[in-house]
Amino acid sequence: MLTYTASRIGQTIIVLLIISFIAFLLVANLGDPLSALLSADATVAERAALIKQLGLEQPMLSRFASFLTNFLQGDLGTSYRTQEPVAKLIVERLPATVELAFVSLIFTIFVGIPAGIFCGVNPKSPISRGIMLFSITGITLPNFVVGIALIAVFSVQLAILPSFGRGETVSLGFWSTGLLTVSGWQAIILPAITLSTFQITFIIRMLRTQLMEVGQSEHIRFARARGVPETTIWFHYAVKNTLLPVITMLGLQLGNIIAFSVVTENVFAWPGLGSLFLQSIQAADIPVIAIYLIFVGAVFMIINLAVELSYPLIDPRVLRRK
Amino acid sequence: MSNVTLPSAAAPRTFRSSFFRAMRNAPGPTFSALVILALALYAVIVPMFAVNPFELSGMSVLDAFTPPFWMADANPDFPLGADDQGRNLLTAMAYGLRTSIIVGMLSVLIGLVVGGTLGLVAGFVGGRIDALIMRFADVQLAYPALLLAMIIDGASRAVLGNERSAGTAITIVVVSIGIAFWVQYARTIRSSVMIERDQDYVSAARITGRSNIGIIFLHILPNVMAPVLVIATINLGIAIITEATLSFLGIGIPITSPSLGTLIRNGNNFLQSGEWWISIWPCLILVFFVVAVNVLGDHLRDIYNPRLRLRS
Amino acid sequence: MSMPLLEVKDLTVTLSRQDRQIMALDNVSFSIKPGEVLGIVGESGAGKSITGAAIINLLVPPLRRTSGIITLAGERLDTLSPRALRSVRGGRIGFVFQDPMTSLNPVITIGRQLIDTIRTHLRLGRDQARRKAIDWLDRVGLPNPDLTLDRYPHQLSGGMRQRVVIALALCADPVLLIADEPTTALDVSVQAHILQLLRDLHRESGTSMLLITHDLGVIAKMADTVAVFYAGRVAEISPVKELFTRPRHPYTEGLIRATPALTAAGEIQLNPIAGAMPGLGALPNGCGFNPRCPKAQDDCRTIVPPLTQQDLSAFACFHPLERSLVQ
Repeated sequence: MLTYTASRIGQTIIVLLIISFIAFLLVANLGDPLSALLSADATVAERAALIKQLGLEQPMLSRFASFLTNFLQGDLGTSYRTQEPVAKLIVERLPATVELAFVSLIFTIFVGIPAGIFCGVNPKSPISRGIMLFSITGITLPNFVVGIALIAVFSVQLAILPSFGRGETVSLGFWSTGLLTVSGWQAIILPAITLSTFQITFIIRMLRTQLMEVGQSEHIRFARARGVPETTIWFHYAVKNTLLPVITMLGLQLGNIIAFSVVTENVFAWPGLGSLFLQSIQAADIPVIAIYLIFVGAVFMIINLAVELSYPLIDPRVLRRK
Repeated sequence: MSNVTLPSAAAPRTFRSSFFRAMRNAPGPTFSALVILALALYAVIVPMFAVNPFELSGMSVLDAFTPPFWMADANPDFPLGADDQGRNLLTAMAYGLRTSIIVGMLSVLIGLVVGGTLGLVAGFVGGRIDALIMRFADVQLAYPALLLAMIIDGASRAVLGNERSAGTAITIVVVSIGIAFWVQYARTIRSSVMIERDQDYVSAARITGRSNIGIIFLHILPNVMAPVLVIATINLGIAIITEATLSFLGIGIPITSPSLGTLIRNGNNFLQSGEWWISIWPCLILVFFVVAVNVLGDHLRDIYNPRLRLRS
Repeated sequence: MSMPLLEVKDLTVTLSRQDRQIMALDNVSFSIKPGEVLGIVGESGAGKSITGAAIINLLVPPLRRTSGIITLAGERLDTLSPRALRSVRGGRIGFVFQDPMTSLNPVITIGRQLIDTIRTHLRLGRDQARRKAIDWLDRVGLPNPDLTLDRYPHQLSGGMRQRVVIALALCADPVLLIADEPTTALDVSVQAHILQLLRDLHRESGTSMLLITHDLGVIAKMADTVAVFYAGRVAEISPVKELFTRPRHPYTEGLIRATPALTAAGEIQLNPIAGAMPGLGALPNGCGFNPRCPKAQDDCRTIVPPLTQQDLSAFACFHPLERSLVQ
């Protein structure tokens, strides 16, 4: 098991290195730091000095090495657009995104899981059919359409919830939170619903198919033959069998969820990482795009690795198979 | 077995009866097919007769913000209303849908060609090349079509600058969405090649001197047609949504060209001031079309292999 | 004759396929006395397992019980409410499933599965239930029962798992045990151990048993009375000795002759019955066995023979055999 863990961590590091190398290539080839940092009337000498200072005359691999070293020391480069350190931009924007992700996760857990279990246990009930109809639209509706529809109803027609911004935020030193004010909570509701739509519908569909499949297995039939109550059978015996595939599938959707956060933040003018990323794309701000590329890859790889390494805790059979 | 007559062959079925049968057995997919057909006809036929509302002659500022037909101040020339530039939404959406469908189909095609080639190479060559291609596939798993297209778009702006022609912008959108799709095709085709490669009849074909190309057309293609068709249908829905999302975000098709995404992006500016129709109509068309494509895709997948449903 | 513990009368199970109703069990009747072991034998597809599942209404749709009266110690089971039926399942009737690889929940510990079952039926506290669970694991012959309690099914061998399945079926002290092919999925070397265990537990507790198997060897070792099933109907019910020495239904005889036996010359003899059992919904008119039967006559091809009692046996045949197989 230990060697397996080590080799999986090693593979993840290699993949992350590949991603960082691609990001580095973006910065090295597409970014033009000279024109970004030099004034238009700079002399050839100034130019040469800057090339030397940035180490641009060195071979590719040693530049990649220093890119990585800087990265690990927290120096993520300088934005072309704002001339500020990328690290500073990210730290400023992180709280908004984390809070949005957190609240939408809460919605997912409290709406998606009960609804999914209900649909799996009673696949033929009219309520299940209704939920499934909602979920097929939910899973295909483009994220921004959901946001626009919510704004049209709750902000324009009913005028009860704001359609942009974070509301009032409270600064807790390094972290600015919107979760301590009423306007902050009002502001987060619509974006969080928008972001959670995909996750909720996804989890409903996964849980339903998995539970229907497990419900037909011999061990559930045997549990029935022993008179074990239906509630124990479904909520304990069957759900425990579905955890592993559901968590795995959800982990693989992480890239989509991050992409949707970009869209959601744009629709609601949410001042988070997604908005930063989008502004950077529009401005061709390569250093920020490159860091975002690494950031997405790292979050995806590390969370999926964590999911995989936690398999033995979820499913006792995994240890043996490996 | 060859001389067994199927009872159904006795009575040749008319189109009408087979349609009603399909409607009864699978009402959702049949209805979806009808929706797709109707919208596709709308997207093809209307632009043949109507002026492109994105050209100057198609705009009439005097008619700007005309509401749909049932509201006060409606104008019968603009049944679904007009936008801020006085574009007729009914025709603008036909042009927009046409772009969306073309972009969707082209990007699926690119994904298929790139993925198919890489899958064939990985399957036939094997070894290091195979490992390298598949490792790249793993890396790309982290980046769904939308995210990848955004990154490629940003990179292309750094190369080409922000002022791009509409044609260039559309090409970039098509290529970047298409690239995102290659993994699934490559994996499907690679595994099929791997299975077929070791079959007796392929070895026999090799011995009798048939080339790899021959083997591909005779043995591999028939086997992967069904799964590839399923993936392509599902990808078409994703591609159209991705294009619309990119255009909505202002990083896809430029706002001066028709696409459902640009129409929605433009209309979104007027949502707060009450001119809801400018954004809601294209939203509805987009949703109808994509939901129909997805229902059809799900249905094809169930026909092809019900167990795939669990893995998707 | 004492009152039967379980009585099944005219049990009919149908399979709904599109708009067709296919008969899977056709008017099956039999009974089990207290302490008796009734073996049900027949080819696969004869309706043996369906019978077992139908008794506690554990049929999987599209199979459905359409008629029949089932009584356990004078109480009707077929009309019970789902809640009352649940206390019968696992409580008064224990059920042993065929394949221990699939019948245990892979992600729940053996202890939890046992304790849940015990506490469903017996008013016991957590600790008492746990002690009873350990006791049962010990009784079915698992080493280190207290450690095994915290194990997961995959950590045990197939034979060990089947012992756990038996413990699960018996842990609430049922009056009847239904064992559906309890040894079929096991290695031959393990089969004998499991049969021995079932016989020992049966002797200790006096529980009646319905033993479903396709293996006449198992029947010979275990059963007091045997019901031979053919194509969803009972062909013959006889005491085990009578069945092997003087089979009355031609199918029973065919079945006995089809088992490999050593001849006097030391050669292995095999006499399979010609033809195959008709599939579901493909039953011929009259007796289901008539296309394969050497004694079939016109009446066999038109009328379904009713089950008739004669001497010690009951059989569904117009032209029963009279000869003895023992010279």
